[in-house]
Amino acid sequence: MSAAPFPNTARVDAFDKVRGAARYGADRSPPGMLHAALATATIGKGRIESIDTSAARAVPGVRLVLTHEDLASEIKPAGYLMAGGYASNGLQPMIAPEIAWRGQPIAIVVADTLPAAIEAAALVRASFAVEPIAVELSAEGTQTVVQSESQLPKPMYEDIVAGDADKAFAEAAVQVDAVFTTPAQHQNPIELVGTVAEWKDGTLIIHEGTQNAEAMRHGLARQLGLTPEQVQIVSPYCGGGFGQKNSLQIYTPLAAVAARRVDRPVKLVVPRAAVFHNSSFRPASRHRFRLGADKSGKLIAAIHETDSQSSRHDLFPTLYAETTGHMYAIDNFRGRERLVRTDTQAPGYMRAPFEHVAAFTMESCIDEMAYALGKDPVALRLANDAYADPISKKPFSSRHLAECLTRGAAMFGWDKRQMAPGSMRAPDGTQIGWGVAAGSYKAATAPAIARLTLTDQGRAIINVGVHEMGQGIRTALSNVVAAKLGIAPELVEAEIGVTGASPQHLTAGSWGTATAVPAASEAADAMLKALAELGQSDAAGRKPAELLKAAGRPSLSVEIRRKAPGHPDQIFGRLASGLPSAMGPAYPEYVSFSYIAHFVEVRIEPGTRRIRVPRVVSVVDCGRVVSPRTATSQVQGGVVWGIGAALREASEVDPRFGGFLNADIAEYVVPVNADIGSIEVGFIDKPDPRLNEVGVKGLGEVVMVGVAPAIANAIFHATGKRLRDLPIRIEHVLDKGDL
Amino acid sequence: MEDQQPRPPAHRFGGELTRREVVAAAGAVPLAAMLPTAAAAQSHLAGRTGHNEATVTVRTVINGTPRHLELDPRASLLDVLREQLALTGAKKGCDHGQCGACTVHIDGRRVVSCLTPAVQTDGAEVTTIEGIAPDDQLHPMQQAFIDHDALQCGYCTPGQIMAAIACVQEGHATSREQIREYMSGNICRCGAYVGIVAAIEDAAPKMRRA
Repeated sequence: MSAAPFPNTARVDAFDKVRGAARYGADRSPPGMLHAALATATIGKGRIESIDTSAARAVPGVRLVLTHEDLASEIKPAGYLMAGGYASNGLQPMIAPEIAWRGQPIAIVVADTLPAAIEAAALVRASFAVEPIAVELSAEGTQTVVQSESQLPKPMYEDIVAGDADKAFAEAAVQVDAVFTTPAQHQNPIELVGTVAEWKDGTLIIHEGTQNAEAMRHGLARQLGLTPEQVQIVSPYCGGGFGQKNSLQIYTPLAAVAARRVDRPVKLVVPRAAVFHNSSFRPASRHRFRLGADKSGKLIAAIHETDSQSSRHDLFPTLYAETTGHMYAIDNFRGRERLVRTDTQAPGYMRAPFEHVAAFTMESCIDEMAYALGKDPVALRLANDAYADPISKKPFSSRHLAECLTRGAAMFGWDKRQMAPGSMRAPDGTQIGWGVAAGSYKAATAPAIARLTLTDQGRAIINVGVHEMGQGIRTALSNVVAAKLGIAPELVEAEIGVTGASPQHLTAGSWGTATAVPAASEAADAMLKALAELGQSDAAGRKPAELLKAAGRPSLSVEIRRKAPGHPDQIFGRLASGLPSAMGPAYPEYVSFSYIAHFVEVRIEPGTRRIRVPRVVSVVDCGRVVSPRTATSQVQGGVVWGIGAALREASEVDPRFGGFLNADIAEYVVPVNADIGSIEVGFIDKPDPRLNEVGVKGLGEVVMVGVAPAIANAIFHATGKRLRDLPIRIEHVLDKGDL
Repeated sequence: MEDQQPRPPAHRFGGELTRREVVAAAGAVPLAAMLPTAAAAQSHLAGRTGHNEATVTVRTVINGTPRHLELDPRASLLDVLREQLALTGAKKGCDHGQCGACTVHIDGRRVVSCLTPAVQTDGAEVTTIEGIAPDDQLHPMQQAFIDHDALQCGYCTPGQIMAAIACVQEGHATSREQIREYMSGNICRCGAYVGIVAAIEDAAPKMRRA
């Protein structure tokens, strides 16, 4: 039975966060700690011929300088996260002279103070043998791999096919055929990647914000020849992840080895420019999307072909068609994905990694199709709603996209919209456009072990595998456990993000809530059962703490393990070894997605042609909402991300020398407060009991999906211009066209 | 000295600094506590800089407490607050004055502490997030940030709140548009801007009354 709607409680860790009292990784300063800084490669690719650290060593306060010449036998590669390993790159820098990308670390300096370390790192001199590079999708020298023909695991990375899309498209009465490009982007959480590495009696303790403490632990053990029990990761708070912190970073083993060498704790806070070049990023991509409909407006064919940037050393697999193939009732679909190897660090996941991009292509084409058919874009989507998964023919576990669209349309006032582009204009000449787009994101589930402890003082401690990156999971856990036990949410404490007890599986892919919350809920059920077994005769109506006291028990603990439908039992072994173990969207008996509809108003100023987004309405189907207040914030945040992706963010590459040119957050432009207007949020809040007993799907990623095409569609409505390259900037709307 | 340190969160797992960490990290001590620990403090500083003669003596007031600091002239105020004084509320997000996560007040004016040489605070009063409300009480702006959920990951939050308080005190919180403009030096990557604007609108009249 699904839980009742949850109350609008405050974020449980907000009290600490507003006082600056929440401790993030680099806030730690153990006694005797020293500071580290990195020197990085100044070429795009090649080999270190010689390296001179004498000037660096001469800086007062410098204790240690390490290069590849010191570390070849001391650090082993941790393996790539998407190839059975643990790290954001399979290639570990500084264990060989080869340079695979610009900005790769070539030395780590440890000094008494941070200024000394920074000064010394700048004095490391290297000479390189330089090799030619290819860093852009279209550059000469890249290598293209057809994903379905590669060594990547099948069926996960097969082409997605239903019916005969090419034939159906060729015969379609109305056709849309368009090419889209999206740029490389960087996640840029405000917390820099930072590590405090400390050795205690042969045990390595790492304080670092992460979404994946278990992978860090096992990866470091593999790299440094330790047992996993000899590594502890402490990450109670992560200052934003967005995919960047989903694996072991290449810097962490460097700090660990440095700390071991100097026999003191070492803090390494990586400057943002270095993070741009050594942590992951959203790959640049190019898409051809074809959409066919009959004259009545029934969509009959879609073909989605993609090229997505990868690295030379690791293949970052893509799932763009997983979004577009399952979205509408289109019987004939073909998705084919290619990977283009370039000379960069491995790209990786960034919020709604494929879904945001895929939705931009498909939802732009749907809008174009609506205009080609002369149909309202909301009505066209409703007319092509799917009642079963068009690829597998299985049912959806739940799907309320139509209600998202109709409720959002009502909240926005969509019925006042006139279809014709350029039909709305402010008295000062500002062009106004209203756009809509939908989004989906897989509802995945990872296995979890949950331990719940109750004390006779009334506190409940839930230990489960999940990380708090701001999504509000502590609050969701508190709400669920509190509701079950009949205690106040503030009495529930979540022990998460720290290794040693429950495995701290990767928190990503919007599976955190649907993984940890049902597990916590089951643990609470087990606790209620255990309390009943204490044998107190008048148990009904008494608080759990009273029952414990009456039974003379200071505390009581229970543990449950939970896996997704269709997970084999061996999945717990995988979970324990720190490997990604999530399942979905396809389950044995159904297919699961969360859904959203975004309605956007854009205003294009007459003189500057500045594109503004004063108003957004977003309505979400994420199953049951377990923490209404933090969920609302997540939707608003996802919309801000969509605005950034649509209008601002691009990591500019240098085709001559490699690397990213705008490697700081003044030049990599993210939305600021003045860019954001009203964001109104609605929740369907219907539980999905087939997926889990709490009825939760996922929220953190779907919230961004569809914002960019809603904006692009609104710009079309304002200007008559169909813009298919992100980000859309002033220069793309300078020409006012015929309107 | 005891009273000058931020009170560790009482109950968050892994969230508290140990007493040992706080003492070890404090490379400088308040004047009142200077005498008994002077020798220890001096040797500690020498160890940290490697060349003691290059330090600069600075007298400043931090969160109401007079401080006598021996500073590396290269050190930013942010790094001194975080690494020497264990005041880790101010955060490093860019070290370039681009994100605002390190915002503190100097003589009541908001500054990015990462671009402020620490030696520049000689004779000045510095206020950090740890110093805006006594003990476990909350400043009206802090309460408003909780009430409007004006945060997610919390990393930029201390800087947002310091900027928000200054924004109100400057008289730049008279409309939503003005708040948005004057709060645009503080990036919230989680995108909590709707809540931040609402929180400032809520707290501004309460601050004026207080």
